[in-house]
Amino acid sequence: MGEIYTTLIFVFVLFALLGSSVWIGLALMGVAWFGMELFTTRPAGDAMITTIWTGASSWTLTALPLFIWMGEILYRTRLSQDMFRGLAPWMRWLPGGLLHTNIAGCTIFAAVSGSSAATLTTVGKMSIPELRKRGYPEYMIVGTLAGAATLGLMIPPSLTLIVYGVSINESITKLFMAGIFPGLVLASLFMAYIMGWHFLAKDQRPEPEPAMSFGEMLSESRFLIPVLMLVTVVIGSMYLGLATATEAAAVGVLGALTLALFQGSLDWLTFRESLMGATRTSAMIALILMGASFLSLAMGFTGLPRALAAWIDQMNLSPLVLIIALTLFYVVLGMFLDGISSVVLTMAIVEPMIRQAGIDVIWFGIFIVVVVEMAQVTPPIGFNLFVLQSMTRHEISYIAKTAIPMVGLMLLMVVILVAWPELATWLPNNLRSGPSGG
Amino acid sequence: MRDWQPFLGLPLWAWLFVLPTILALACLVAPEPLGRALQPLQRLLDRVYLFSGVMASVFMVTILLLIVAQMVARWSSLTFPGSTEYAGYAMAATSFLALAHALTRGAHIRVSIFLNMGHRFGLWLDGFAMWIAAITATYFARFAIKTNIMSEVLNDRTQGQDFTPEWLLSFFAMFATAPAEWGKLWAETGSDWVYTPVWLPQLPMSIGTVLLALALWDYLCRLLITRRASITSEAVE
Repeated sequence: MGEIYTTLIFVFVLFALLGSSVWIGLALMGVAWFGMELFTTRPAGDAMITTIWTGASSWTLTALPLFIWMGEILYRTRLSQDMFRGLAPWMRWLPGGLLHTNIAGCTIFAAVSGSSAATLTTVGKMSIPELRKRGYPEYMIVGTLAGAATLGLMIPPSLTLIVYGVSINESITKLFMAGIFPGLVLASLFMAYIMGWHFLAKDQRPEPEPAMSFGEMLSESRFLIPVLMLVTVVIGSMYLGLATATEAAAVGVLGALTLALFQGSLDWLTFRESLMGATRTSAMIALILMGASFLSLAMGFTGLPRALAAWIDQMNLSPLVLIIALTLFYVVLGMFLDGISSVVLTMAIVEPMIRQAGIDVIWFGIFIVVVVEMAQVTPPIGFNLFVLQSMTRHEISYIAKTAIPMVGLMLLMVVILVAWPELATWLPNNLRSGPSGG
Repeated sequence: MRDWQPFLGLPLWAWLFVLPTILALACLVAPEPLGRALQPLQRLLDRVYLFSGVMASVFMVTILLLIVAQMVARWSSLTFPGSTEYAGYAMAATSFLALAHALTRGAHIRVSIFLNMGHRFGLWLDGFAMWIAAITATYFARFAIKTNIMSEVLNDRTQGQDFTPEWLLSFFAMFATAPAEWGKLWAETGSDWVYTPVWLPQLPMSIGTVLLALALWDYLCRLLITRRASITSEAVE
């Protein structure tokens, strides 16, 4: 009975603070303080700073600002202009035509950036006008883009996976490796959807593209090739155990700077803006992490996570039922919170639960990313919807409707992950060993 | 409560929470005179937030350089003792120093459904949210400073293999000692490197959290003076 009372108070205060639009990190601190003062006799303030300091000065976290910076640099280069021209010749042959540039573009940019909004903006800036000009139906352009941009969260480097790894103290390299195959499978699902559209809605097909020689195709994609090389180096160095996640991020930043320099789009202004933008984004995530670490501490003192885990254990749920329940829970939570916040907010409670149920935590990281990805495109709060609204001037409700098939595909992805967990766990289990740490 | 013992006749919590609230209420009641009076201060503070953000970005570059140095050292079979600790300190400095700057640029995220439910209601809710946030941030800053001072008093040293030159410690110690003592301070400073005392990397935490609290009170006053949303987001470019 006591646990239910405690849970209700935590949840009530949390929603009151979040609902009154207090910044998420500070709201989490407020709830934690409340819990500490109400349910424990420990000095809240001192315990708070000790935890926050340990978390904020941790070595594992340094991968976060560097990966953000790498994405920021490439976001400010002319990459998006070149992306469409580079990809178009290769995608023309597929059934569904240039719509595939949305998916392929997002997949490639996701591999250099950990954020879904940056992926969406970079790819959308170029592909939306080009696809409109060629007469592709609007709902397909917007819908596939909204869905594919969420790959930014799954394909490494992924900010959500870094935050998850830091929260539960697991290797970030392993989580990154686990994200590769599921990310590619999800991208293929999106592509299969476009092909299905091609064959089912024959009357909506635009004119086919003119033919092009192989040499022209290569020269059109001259900037894409260096980006693909950068992706290979960053991910490959982690896979081969040559570098930790943080070191790979540093290589990524240097590589992105070099690319921008050769492309001629790196000047002092771009450099400064990318650096300041990355500093702000990483401070934003850091504040949420600080609040979350204090909240985990406070909840730990109340004994709530252990009690809930024991309660779940008593109910003798099969892992499958637990996963279904958690999917529903995260989808609902994701309607109101962004991915990173939902992850850090719930990990203190959910981690003991899944460990108790014997679910692999690396696999669970990928699962949680797919589920919070859905949150990016579900109303009322879905960050991709907002970004697309400002880019296309459509109503949120219209964009959300076009994205419904994508949400369906992501749910299918959850089923695939449950049916074939090896998809996520095989690569991290076969990593070459290298420098220790994440 | 020892944490809130009186300071200049008033308990500390009155200084930290009640007085700024009274100032904010005054801004609500008499926006015009206070708006004029606070304007020079606001301009100064804007520069402070920006400067702190720039310092944060310098530490971001430091992280990059430290990690590159660590890799180069490993490839050439040298050792770089304490590199992970240094990178951790730089990480903390980046995060804390940029808090206020990120706030003023609308980079921190919040649930904003209710903010958009009508102009007047949105303003009141925004003001309320900022007040709660300002109190939380002030509490955060108060204990950050306390922890920082305690680290110095207990002479808490790093657990890792990182060293700091003594002159750097003396330089920062100057700010906490009377100018008359400076001669003695420097006379005792050797040229050795010592295990990093924890208070040094904790300084950005104190500075950053104080600036965050200050920025929240500042922007709350601006909101009440101008009756317009004082923080605008440029997240969606």
